[in-house]
Amino acid sequence: MGGKVTCTLGEVKQRADFIIYWGGNPAECHPRHFTKYTIMQKSRFLPRGRKDRTMVLVDIRETKSAKAADIFLQIRPGKDFELITILRALIKGQPVADEQIAETGLSRAVVDDLIARMKRAKFGCMFFGMGLSMTRGKHMNSAALLCLAAEMNAFTKFVAMPMRGHGNVTGADVIMRWQTGFPFGISFNRGYPRYNPGEFSTVDVLVRGDCDAAFIIGADPGATMPQPAIDHLARIPTIVLDPHVTHTSRIARVHITTAPQGIAAPGTAYRMDELPMPLKPALKSPYPSDEEVVRRINEAIARKPFWLPDGRQPQMVATLG
Amino acid sequence: MPITFHLKRPPTVPLEAEVLSPDVVGSLTNSEIRSLTVYHGKRQLPLSEFFDVEGEQSDDLVFHGALNKVRWVGRAMSRGSITVHGDVGMHLGAHMSGGRIEVHGNASDWVGGEMKKGLIHVHGNAGGQVGAAYRGSNIGMKDGVILVDGSAGLEVGMRMRRGTIVIGGPARDFVGLQMKGGTIVLLSGAEIRTGAWMNRGTIISLQPLQLMPTFACSGVQNPVFVNLYSRFLQSWGIHLPFAASEGVYRQYRGDLAVSAKGEILIWQPA
Amino acid sequence: MIRITGGKVYDPANGIDGEIKDLCIDDHGKFVASVSGGRTIDATGMIIFPGGVDVHTHVAGGAINFARAMTPEDHRRTQAFMRTKTRRSGLGGMAPTTFATGYLYAGMGWTTVNEAAVPVLSARHTHEELADIPIVDKASLTLMANNEIMLDLLEQGEFERAKQVVAWYLWAAKSYGIKAVSPGGVAAWKWGKDAKQLTSPIAGYDKLTPGDIVTQLARICDEMGLPHPMHLHCNNLGAPGNIATTLDTLKHLEGRRAHIAHSQYHAYGGDGWDTMRSETTQLAEYFNTHPGITTDAGAVVFGDTVTITADGPWQHLLYKLTGRKWGNLDVENETGCGIVPYTYRPSNLVNAVQWACGLELLLLIRDPWQVFLSTDHPNGGCFWRYPEIIQLLMNADVRKECLQKIPDRIKSSMVLPEITREYTLSEIAVAMSAGPARALGLKEKGNLGLGCDADLVIYESDPDVLKMFGHPRYVIKAGEVVIEDGDIREAPQGKEFLVKPAYDPATDEFMRPLFEDHYTMSFENYPVEFERLEHPELRDCIPVTER
Ligand SMILES: [Zn+2]
Repeated sequence: MGGKVTCTLGEVKQRADFIIYWGGNPAECHPRHFTKYTIMQKSRFLPRGRKDRTMVLVDIRETKSAKAADIFLQIRPGKDFELITILRALIKGQPVADEQIAETGLSRAVVDDLIARMKRAKFGCMFFGMGLSMTRGKHMNSAALLCLAAEMNAFTKFVAMPMRGHGNVTGADVIMRWQTGFPFGISFNRGYPRYNPGEFSTVDVLVRGDCDAAFIIGADPGATMPQPAIDHLARIPTIVLDPHVTHTSRIARVHITTAPQGIAAPGTAYRMDELPMPLKPALKSPYPSDEEVVRRINEAIARKPFWLPDGRQPQMVATLG
Repeated sequence: MPITFHLKRPPTVPLEAEVLSPDVVGSLTNSEIRSLTVYHGKRQLPLSEFFDVEGEQSDDLVFHGALNKVRWVGRAMSRGSITVHGDVGMHLGAHMSGGRIEVHGNASDWVGGEMKKGLIHVHGNAGGQVGAAYRGSNIGMKDGVILVDGSAGLEVGMRMRRGTIVIGGPARDFVGLQMKGGTIVLLSGAEIRTGAWMNRGTIISLQPLQLMPTFACSGVQNPVFVNLYSRFLQSWGIHLPFAASEGVYRQYRGDLAVSAKGEILIWQPA
Repeated sequence: MIRITGGKVYDPANGIDGEIKDLCIDDHGKFVASVSGGRTIDATGMIIFPGGVDVHTHVAGGAINFARAMTPEDHRRTQAFMRTKTRRSGLGGMAPTTFATGYLYAGMGWTTVNEAAVPVLSARHTHEELADIPIVDKASLTLMANNEIMLDLLEQGEFERAKQVVAWYLWAAKSYGIKAVSPGGVAAWKWGKDAKQLTSPIAGYDKLTPGDIVTQLARICDEMGLPHPMHLHCNNLGAPGNIATTLDTLKHLEGRRAHIAHSQYHAYGGDGWDTMRSETTQLAEYFNTHPGITTDAGAVVFGDTVTITADGPWQHLLYKLTGRKWGNLDVENETGCGIVPYTYRPSNLVNAVQWACGLELLLLIRDPWQVFLSTDHPNGGCFWRYPEIIQLLMNADVRKECLQKIPDRIKSSMVLPEITREYTLSEIAVAMSAGPARALGLKEKGNLGLGCDADLVIYESDPDVLKMFGHPRYVIKAGEVVIEDGDIREAPQGKEFLVKPAYDPATDEFMRPLFEDHYTMSFENYPVEFERLEHPELRDCIPVTER
């Protein structure tokens, strides 16, 4: 149970004959996804391209992406977790009552057909978006789909992948993992990395007012986070690094204008399948890059006395249990 | 006579104080206790910065004040008692293996996280993840009793293997998520996805529940163990009906997405 | 400058076996005949080894980073490295973080590591991680045996072109050598299948067999003149009865050089999980009669770990057997990897046989220059448990004690109980340092001779081998004291080794159209820029026939 079964986008392009988009609207949010990676591509294994592939869209409303889909499954809001759990039961041959299936907004015939197609596929791939991962159930919705993909491997090849949002979210996730062991929701207050989403994740820390300063880079929480979190950012010293004026920069004490990454500053961005892409800037900017600003802040901090009095080591929270 | 701790000033950021456990302070003098290290954010400070400490050497600890931001109280304690007059922060009694904790107020998330034994009684509300496994762990609460008179948040008893959790008020989503054993009693019901992906164990609800589609009704019965449970819980004033004259329990098996060896019993008054 | 006096020196590369000898190190971090001034370390009564060299480990890149994300519960219970003025924070455990990896290796006296599995596509990522591993020197191997462009060329009989393409890939990845994982098997796994027979065509191909890939890749490595020969992970890893596959694979080498990775996983008899037994006698015999090939043990230690390998089929099987978390990552055109947390138990037949096989190979292969210490970290166990294996090799009584934990019915499936050999200190120095350094073609490593890199470890002599090897008194890396009395004193940046094999410049234009077809990245973005490497060191390629 648990875990994650995935691949790079090139594998999807080469092999995936069955693609499910769940709770995402690639036609509008990731416009090049269809043409570059998924349904439109021809490959040696799928020489007829679009004709050799089946695309299913699962969502609560008919978005523009539905036009591209062979099958559009409109489900009731908040029933994603239930439907995925039903699929997990049905693929193993466990009985689920018709009226239970109907609760999700789909009929038994439709669900049976979906399962038959999934099992018939040579290489299935599920992409999931914020419509799944950010609605009620959150991480458990994503976990459910990842579980379903893993369990489908008892029948055929299946993988799953999140459609990450804008910016280099994946890059931050990848680097935090190699430096700290954890992807996000990390506290360093004891001198070593600790992980507990819900306790240390940014939005929760802000909503509870658990921090007394904020340093924000490459994000605009002022536009997306709940009001109590934004209120707290306005209350405490908030420093923002951003090429633009943003909702967050307006409430920040300090806004350092930086060169836009990938346009005027070089670096690496990680694609949603965790492949690193070099960013080669086309323009020059009078502003420093984020990296340079952070490096200079670090150098300035290094000149100050160490954060602990000499000889005092923080202690681990004992590893009982 | 117990050791009493009065909160002098509320911490401005979370205060990590896993030293507030009978196992640590029980054998210390008051001045030794005052100089124990607590973590106010990243700063290491003596406990006396935040607490007045009085009383005699004891395994019984009493706290007064709004400890909302004080975390890890009673962490891994194996004996003695902790009484909190006021609210208390996250991870109360996490990993505890004995003794008892009583809170006359509200508690936050992770009450009794991965606890092994002992008793926690929260008279107010609790947050999420009561008796749950920490992220990535396979097993939550291994044994012991957690009573919450008020409401509780998400993922109560997530991956618990044994022990008892009673929630007096309403609970939120995912009660008994991936449960492996033990019993959860819901006196005022829960929101949705109760028992999702449960492998084994029992959830008893005295109120109707909206169940996962992957649970199937397997009949009506008043199992003997409910009677035993009822007696066990009586000392805390909790009454579980079990007489056939009062009503019946409708039994559901699931979760079919996993092994379907768990059960949910929903009380139907006569 | 450092002078180390009075220590008992074990330097097998120079035939020195426990002589009292002074060592001098200059300001460039090399051994010299004499120095004036600088620090003197009195090593009287202590034992001096060349710094350890890990020929096969997985410490950086997409797969281990995937494993880190999958095991937060392990990070919580493990040793934490606190941040200090000179040190970044980190976590040890089954899949240590990058900074901790450097501290843990150095803390045990290892100063060079070889990351054994890098898909070119994530090479950029791997190099970024390697740059965050402090203290030790690093090399990395590019995964090649399932690259579809290369397989197609071999299928078409275009050997010369295939060679150019391999050289092009190596330089694109900025790596040090070639790793072949289950030739053809990973390509087949992408369809949910496996390649188990060396002489049957691979799924999706008409003629090409795993055996052909072995023969031709070994030849490519030799003709390109890579300092390290083909690093081969044989087909059928971990399966009962796979000894036949392994011996067959070795025959396909046709006398060429090769390093066989983690041979413990490839030395089983029996025809099912309940009849699995050790066949290390056969495999060891092959090595004993073929001195040109080397191997690392891939030893198993009992306890928790997380297994990661490019062997997708094996990982899916493990997931089914254990019912635990499973991660799988297929990489376009090149390879794939699977990740499953795992616990090796002495009471389990399969695990006990695996444990025995690793030790048996180390003990039955007579020449220590042919078989090296490894656990295929983290697959057979974590690298920081090497001292436990050293103890088992040096002390037959400790082995006997361990065998007592194993049920009698299982003991008949292994040969370990009959082996009495004990490693000498000098043999340990070969297996952990001088041998792997030579196999990697790193002449100035694992060697305390004049002009070599001053990487060494000083132990307090102690009859308790576990303590002695687990807690060196000093570790010196490139002439800098990095560990002293168990403390990390300095955390300098190590070097990264790579090669630039010659290839026809027209290969770029040959690759471009194929590339657009196979990949989702632009051709220009694919090769890792040389400037991205921190402290790179280019090594020469000399064709084997010209050596
Ligand atoms: Zn390996």
